[in-house]
Amino acid sequence: MSFTLAQEPERAASREGEPARKVHVIQGQYHVSSDADLVLTTILGSCVAACVRDPVAGVGGMNHFLLPGEEGGEGLRYGVQSMELLVNALLRRGARRDRLEVKLFGGARLIDGLTDVGSQNAAFGERFVRDEGLTYVGGSLRGQRARRIQYWPVSGRARQVLLEASSQQVFATERPARVAPAPEQAGGDMELF
Amino acid sequence: MPAAATMSCLVVDDQQTIRSLVRSGLQELGFKAIHEASDGEDGLRHMLSRPINLVISDFNMPKLDGLGLLRAVRSHPPIQKTAFIMLTGRADKELVQRAVQFGVNNYLVKPFTVATLREKIEAVFGTLH
Repeated sequence: MSFTLAQEPERAASREGEPARKVHVIQGQYHVSSDADLVLTTILGSCVAACVRDPVAGVGGMNHFLLPGEEGGEGLRYGVQSMELLVNALLRRGARRDRLEVKLFGGARLIDGLTDVGSQNAAFGERFVRDEGLTYVGGSLRGQRARRIQYWPVSGRARQVLLEASSQQVFATERPARVAPAPEQAGGDMELF
Repeated sequence: MPAAATMSCLVVDDQQTIRSLVRSGLQELGFKAIHEASDGEDGLRHMLSRPINLVISDFNMPKLDGLGLLRAVRSHPPIQKTAFIMLTGRADKELVQRAVQFGVNNYLVKPFTVATLREKIEAVFGTLH
Protein backbone atom coordinates (compact mmCIF):
# COMPACT_ATOMS: atom_id res chain seq x y z
CA MET A 1 0.00 0.00 0.00
CA SER A 2 1.31 3.42 -0.85
CA PHE A 3 -0.46 6.51 0.35
CA THR A 4 -1.45 8.93 -2.34
CA LEU A 5 -2.88 12.37 -2.73
CA ALA A 6 -6.62 12.37 -3.32
CA GLN A 7 -7.85 13.58 -6.70
CA GLU A 8 -8.42 17.23 -7.46
CA PRO A 9 -11.76 18.60 -6.28
CA GLU A 10 -14.83 17.97 -8.33
CA ARG A 11 -17.73 20.33 -8.75
CA ALA A 12 -20.51 19.12 -6.49
CA ALA A 13 -24.17 19.28 -7.39
CA SER A 14 -25.08 22.91 -7.11
CA ARG A 15 -27.97 22.59 -4.70
CA GLU A 16 -28.53 25.52 -2.43
CA GLY A 17 -26.64 25.25 0.81
CA GLU A 18 -24.36 22.57 -0.54
CA PRO A 19 -20.61 23.19 -0.63
CA ALA A 20 -19.27 24.28 -3.99
CA ARG A 21 -16.48 21.73 -4.24
CA LYS A 22 -15.62 18.44 -2.62
CA VAL A 23 -12.87 15.87 -2.54
CA HIS A 24 -13.62 12.29 -1.56
CA VAL A 25 -10.74 10.72 0.34
CA ILE A 26 -10.61 6.94 0.01
CA GLN A 27 -8.56 4.42 1.96
CA GLY A 28 -4.84 5.06 1.54
CA GLN A 29 -5.26 8.69 0.48
CA TYR A 30 -4.92 12.11 2.04
CA HIS A 31 -5.80 15.63 0.93
CA VAL A 32 -4.79 19.07 2.19
CA SER A 33 -6.37 22.39 1.26
CA SER A 34 -6.63 26.04 2.21
CA ASP A 35 -9.83 26.49 0.21
CA ALA A 36 -12.59 27.64 2.56
CA ASP A 37 -15.28 26.41 0.17
CA LEU A 38 -13.91 22.92 -0.10
CA VAL A 39 -15.31 19.98 1.82
CA LEU A 40 -13.46 16.71 2.28
CA THR A 41 -15.63 13.61 2.49
CA THR A 42 -15.08 9.98 3.33
CA ILE A 43 -16.96 6.86 4.37
CA LEU A 44 -15.54 4.84 7.25
CA GLY A 45 -16.19 1.43 8.69
CA SER A 46 -13.32 0.14 10.78
CA CYS A 47 -10.95 2.59 9.06
CA VAL A 48 -10.01 5.86 10.74
CA ALA A 49 -9.80 9.35 9.24
CA ALA A 50 -7.75 12.04 10.93
CA CYS A 51 -8.95 15.58 10.23
CA VAL A 52 -6.17 18.02 11.04
CA ARG A 53 -5.92 21.79 10.65
CA ASP A 54 -3.96 24.84 11.69
CA PRO A 55 -6.54 27.55 12.47
CA VAL A 56 -3.97 30.34 12.17
CA ALA A 57 -2.47 29.28 8.83
CA GLY A 58 -5.95 28.47 7.52
CA VAL A 59 -5.02 25.08 6.16
CA GLY A 60 -6.32 21.62 6.96
CA GLY A 61 -6.60 18.12 5.62
CA MET A 62 -7.85 14.60 6.01
CA ASN A 63 -6.39 11.13 5.63
CA HIS A 64 -8.02 7.70 5.67
CA PHE A 65 -6.12 4.69 6.91
CA LEU A 66 -6.48 1.11 8.03
CA LEU A 67 -3.75 -0.70 9.90
CA PRO A 68 -3.08 -4.04 8.30
CA GLY A 69 -2.25 -6.89 10.62
CA GLU A 70 -1.81 -7.09 14.35
CA GLU A 71 -1.35 -4.09 16.58
CA GLY A 72 2.28 -3.31 17.19
CA GLY A 73 3.35 -5.22 14.11
CA GLU A 74 4.35 -3.98 10.71
CA GLY A 75 0.86 -2.55 10.25
CA LEU A 76 1.62 0.22 12.70
CA ARG A 77 4.08 1.65 10.24
CA TYR A 78 1.34 2.33 7.69
CA GLY A 79 -0.71 4.35 10.15
CA VAL A 80 2.40 6.32 11.06
CA GLN A 81 3.21 6.95 7.42
CA SER A 82 -0.32 8.10 6.65
CA MET A 83 -0.23 10.54 9.56
CA GLU A 84 3.23 11.76 8.67
CA LEU A 85 2.30 12.46 5.05
CA LEU A 86 -0.73 14.45 6.16
CA VAL A 87 1.15 16.42 8.82
CA ASN A 88 4.12 17.12 6.53
CA ALA A 89 1.79 18.32 3.76
CA LEU A 90 0.22 20.74 6.25
CA LEU A 91 3.61 21.97 7.46
CA ARG A 92 4.66 22.61 3.85
CA ARG A 93 1.55 24.83 3.50
CA GLY A 94 2.59 26.98 6.44
CA ALA A 95 1.02 25.09 9.34
CA ARG A 96 2.88 24.76 12.62
CA ARG A 97 2.94 21.53 14.55
CA ASP A 98 2.17 23.23 17.88
CA ARG A 99 -1.04 24.72 16.45
CA LEU A 100 -2.44 21.59 14.86
CA GLU A 101 -5.95 20.57 15.93
CA VAL A 102 -7.03 16.99 15.34
CA LYS A 103 -10.40 15.30 15.03
CA LEU A 104 -10.58 11.53 14.68
CA PHE A 105 -13.45 9.53 13.19
CA GLY A 106 -14.14 5.88 12.50
CA GLY A 107 -12.79 2.70 14.00
CA ALA A 108 -16.18 0.99 14.20
CA ARG A 109 -16.22 -2.48 15.66
CA LEU A 110 -15.41 -5.17 13.18
CA ILE A 111 -14.25 -8.50 14.48
CA ASP A 112 -11.77 -10.16 12.18
CA GLY A 113 -10.80 -13.44 13.80
CA LEU A 114 -10.12 -12.55 17.42
CA THR A 115 -9.11 -9.00 16.65
CA ASP A 116 -11.29 -5.90 16.82
CA VAL A 117 -9.70 -4.12 13.89
CA GLY A 118 -11.67 -0.90 14.32
CA SER A 119 -10.68 -0.55 17.94
CA GLN A 120 -7.02 -1.04 17.01
CA ASN A 121 -7.24 1.69 14.40
CA ALA A 122 -8.96 4.02 16.86
CA ALA A 123 -6.37 3.31 19.56
CA PHE A 124 -3.57 3.98 17.11
CA GLY A 125 -5.05 7.37 16.18
CA GLU A 126 -5.46 8.37 19.82
CA ARG A 127 -1.97 7.22 20.72
CA PHE A 128 -0.43 9.08 17.79
CA VAL A 129 -2.14 12.34 18.81
CA ARG A 130 -0.98 11.88 22.40
CA ASP A 131 2.60 10.85 21.58
CA GLU A 132 3.10 13.70 19.11
CA GLY A 133 1.70 16.27 21.52
CA LEU A 134 -1.06 17.33 19.11
CA THR A 135 -4.29 18.92 20.31
CA TYR A 136 -7.34 16.66 20.15
CA VAL A 137 -10.47 18.73 19.70
CA GLY A 138 -13.10 16.06 19.18
CA GLY A 139 -14.45 13.43 16.87
CA SER A 140 -16.22 10.11 17.03
CA LEU A 141 -14.47 6.77 17.38
CA ARG A 142 -15.51 3.12 17.75
CA GLY A 143 -19.18 2.12 17.98
CA GLN A 144 -20.96 -0.38 15.76
CA ARG A 145 -21.89 1.55 12.66
CA ALA A 146 -20.19 2.92 9.59
CA ARG A 147 -19.98 6.69 9.17
CA ARG A 148 -20.10 9.26 6.44
CA ILE A 149 -17.85 12.21 7.31
CA GLN A 150 -17.66 15.71 5.89
CA TYR A 151 -14.83 17.99 6.98
CA TRP A 152 -14.19 21.61 6.08
CA PRO A 153 -10.41 21.90 6.34
CA VAL A 154 -10.24 25.66 6.87
CA SER A 155 -13.00 26.13 9.46
CA GLY A 156 -12.46 22.73 11.06
CA ARG A 157 -16.18 22.01 11.03
CA ALA A 158 -17.05 18.34 10.76
CA ARG A 159 -20.31 16.57 10.13
CA GLN A 160 -20.99 12.89 10.74
CA VAL A 161 -23.84 10.74 9.53
CA LEU A 162 -24.10 7.24 10.96
CA LEU A 163 -24.99 4.69 8.32
CA GLU A 164 -27.30 1.79 8.90
CA ALA A 165 -28.32 -0.36 5.97
CA SER A 166 -25.07 0.03 4.09
CA SER A 167 -22.80 -0.53 7.07
CA GLN A 168 -21.93 -4.09 6.21
CA GLN A 169 -21.19 -3.02 2.66
CA VAL A 170 -18.70 -0.44 3.93
CA PHE A 171 -16.95 -3.01 6.10
CA ALA A 172 -16.87 -5.42 3.19
CA THR A 173 -15.12 -2.91 0.95
CA GLU A 174 -12.45 -2.46 3.60
CA ARG A 175 -11.71 -6.16 3.90
CA PRO A 176 -9.74 -6.80 0.72
CA ALA A 177 -7.23 -4.12 1.57
CA ARG A 178 -6.56 -5.52 5.02
CA VAL A 179 -3.53 -7.52 4.01
CA ALA A 180 0.06 -6.69 4.69
CA PRO A 181 1.28 -4.70 1.70
CA ALA A 182 4.79 -4.70 0.32
CA PRO A 183 5.72 -1.10 0.99
CA GLU A 184 9.22 -1.06 -0.39
CA GLN A 185 7.94 -1.97 -3.82
CA ALA A 186 5.73 1.10 -3.94
CA GLY A 187 8.54 3.35 -5.02
CA GLY A 188 11.62 1.45 -4.16
CA ASP A 189 12.96 0.72 -7.61
CA MET A 190 15.93 3.02 -7.07
CA GLU A 191 18.98 1.06 -6.06
CA LEU A 192 22.04 3.19 -5.68
CA PHE A 193 24.03 0.96 -3.38
CA MET B 1 31.74 -6.98 10.65
CA PRO B 2 30.60 -4.79 13.53
CA ALA B 3 28.67 -5.95 16.54
CA ALA B 4 25.47 -3.89 16.70
CA ALA B 5 25.70 -3.82 20.48
CA THR B 6 28.99 -1.90 20.34
CA MET B 7 27.74 0.80 17.98
CA SER B 8 26.21 4.10 18.91
CA CYS B 9 23.27 5.27 16.83
CA LEU B 10 21.47 8.60 16.53
CA VAL B 11 17.87 8.76 15.25
CA VAL B 12 16.80 12.20 14.02
CA ASP B 13 13.15 12.83 13.25
CA ASP B 14 10.66 15.50 14.29
CA GLN B 15 7.99 12.85 14.93
CA GLN B 16 8.22 10.99 18.21
CA THR B 17 6.30 8.07 16.72
CA ILE B 18 8.85 7.59 13.93
CA ARG B 19 11.74 7.83 16.37
CA SER B 20 10.12 5.15 18.50
CA LEU B 21 9.62 2.88 15.48
CA VAL B 22 13.23 3.25 14.36
CA ARG B 23 14.43 2.73 17.92
CA SER B 24 12.45 -0.48 18.30
CA GLY B 25 13.78 -1.71 14.95
CA LEU B 26 17.35 -0.97 15.98
CA GLN B 27 16.84 -2.71 19.31
CA GLU B 28 15.57 -5.75 17.45
CA LEU B 29 18.82 -5.72 15.46
CA GLY B 30 20.87 -5.66 18.65
CA PHE B 31 21.72 -1.98 19.00
CA LYS B 32 21.99 -0.82 22.61
CA ALA B 33 23.19 2.78 22.48
CA ILE B 34 20.42 4.67 20.70
CA HIS B 35 20.07 8.42 20.98
CA GLU B 36 17.29 10.61 19.63
CA ALA B 37 17.05 14.14 18.28
CA SER B 38 13.97 16.02 17.10
CA ASP B 39 15.54 18.10 14.31
CA GLY B 40 18.81 18.64 12.46
CA GLU B 41 20.17 21.23 14.87
CA ASP B 42 19.45 19.01 17.83
CA GLY B 43 21.06 16.11 15.96
CA LEU B 44 24.23 18.05 15.26
CA ARG B 45 24.49 19.03 18.92
CA HIS B 46 24.24 15.36 19.89
CA MET B 47 26.95 14.40 17.42
CA LEU B 48 29.34 17.05 18.64
CA SER B 49 28.90 15.97 22.24
CA ARG B 50 29.29 12.20 22.00
CA PRO B 51 30.70 9.63 19.57
CA ILE B 52 28.10 8.39 17.09
CA ASN B 53 28.72 5.59 14.58
CA LEU B 54 25.48 5.74 12.65
CA VAL B 55 22.94 8.50 11.98
CA ILE B 56 19.46 7.65 10.71
CA SER B 57 17.82 10.94 9.83
CA ASP B 58 14.52 12.05 8.36
CA PHE B 59 14.61 14.50 5.48
CA ASN B 60 11.62 16.74 6.32
CA MET B 61 12.34 18.49 9.61
CA PRO B 62 12.06 22.00 11.02
CA LYS B 63 15.10 24.24 11.69
CA LEU B 64 17.68 22.08 9.89
CA ASP B 65 16.41 19.38 7.54
CA GLY B 66 18.07 16.06 6.78
CA LEU B 67 20.14 17.36 3.87
CA GLY B 68 21.29 20.31 5.97
CA LEU B 69 22.33 17.98 8.75
CA LEU B 70 24.17 15.75 6.28
CA ARG B 71 26.07 18.71 4.84
CA ALA B 72 26.94 19.94 8.32
CA VAL B 73 28.21 16.50 9.32
CA ARG B 74 30.35 16.13 6.21
CA SER B 75 31.89 19.56 6.79
CA HIS B 76 32.85 18.97 10.44
CA PRO B 77 36.15 17.00 10.38
CA PRO B 78 35.68 15.26 13.77
CA ILE B 79 32.37 13.73 12.67
CA GLN B 80 32.56 13.83 8.88
CA LYS B 81 33.08 10.08 8.47
CA THR B 82 29.98 9.11 10.45
CA ALA B 83 27.73 6.71 8.53
CA PHE B 84 24.54 8.49 7.49
CA ILE B 85 21.28 6.90 6.34
CA MET B 86 18.52 9.20 5.13
CA LEU B 87 14.85 8.44 5.81
CA THR B 88 12.54 9.54 3.03
CA GLY B 89 8.77 9.52 2.71
CA ARG B 90 9.00 8.18 -0.81
CA ALA B 91 11.66 7.12 -3.28
CA ASP B 92 12.34 10.66 -4.47
CA LYS B 93 15.10 10.23 -7.03
CA GLU B 94 16.12 13.89 -7.02
CA LEU B 95 16.37 14.01 -3.25
CA VAL B 96 18.39 10.81 -3.10
CA GLN B 97 20.74 12.06 -5.83
CA ARG B 98 21.31 15.30 -3.90
CA ALA B 99 21.92 13.31 -0.74
CA VAL B 100 24.43 11.14 -2.62
CA GLN B 101 26.24 14.29 -3.76
CA PHE B 102 26.50 15.36 -0.14
CA GLY B 103 27.86 11.97 0.88
CA VAL B 104 24.92 9.97 2.21
CA ASN B 105 25.72 6.28 2.72
CA ASN B 106 22.26 4.88 2.07
CA TYR B 107 18.57 5.74 2.18
CA LEU B 108 15.47 4.14 3.62
CA VAL B 109 11.95 4.66 2.26
CA LYS B 110 9.14 4.84 4.81
CA PRO B 111 7.32 2.76 5.78
CA PHE B 112 10.03 0.14 6.15
CA THR B 113 10.36 -3.23 7.79
CA VAL B 114 13.03 -4.30 10.26
CA ALA B 115 14.42 -6.56 7.52
CA THR B 116 14.89 -3.55 5.24
CA LEU B 117 16.45 -1.56 8.06
CA ARG B 118 18.95 -4.37 8.58
CA GLU B 119 19.64 -4.60 4.85
CA LYS B 120 20.37 -0.88 4.57
CA ILE B 121 22.64 -0.84 7.63
CA GLU B 122 24.49 -3.94 6.48
CA ALA B 123 25.01 -2.34 3.05
CA VAL B 124 27.03 0.30 4.91
CA PHE B 125 28.79 -1.69 7.63
CA GLY B 126 28.73 -5.30 6.48
CA THR B 127 26.89 -8.11 8.23
CA LEU B 128 25.72 -7.22 11.72
CA HIS B 129 26.19 -9.69 14.51
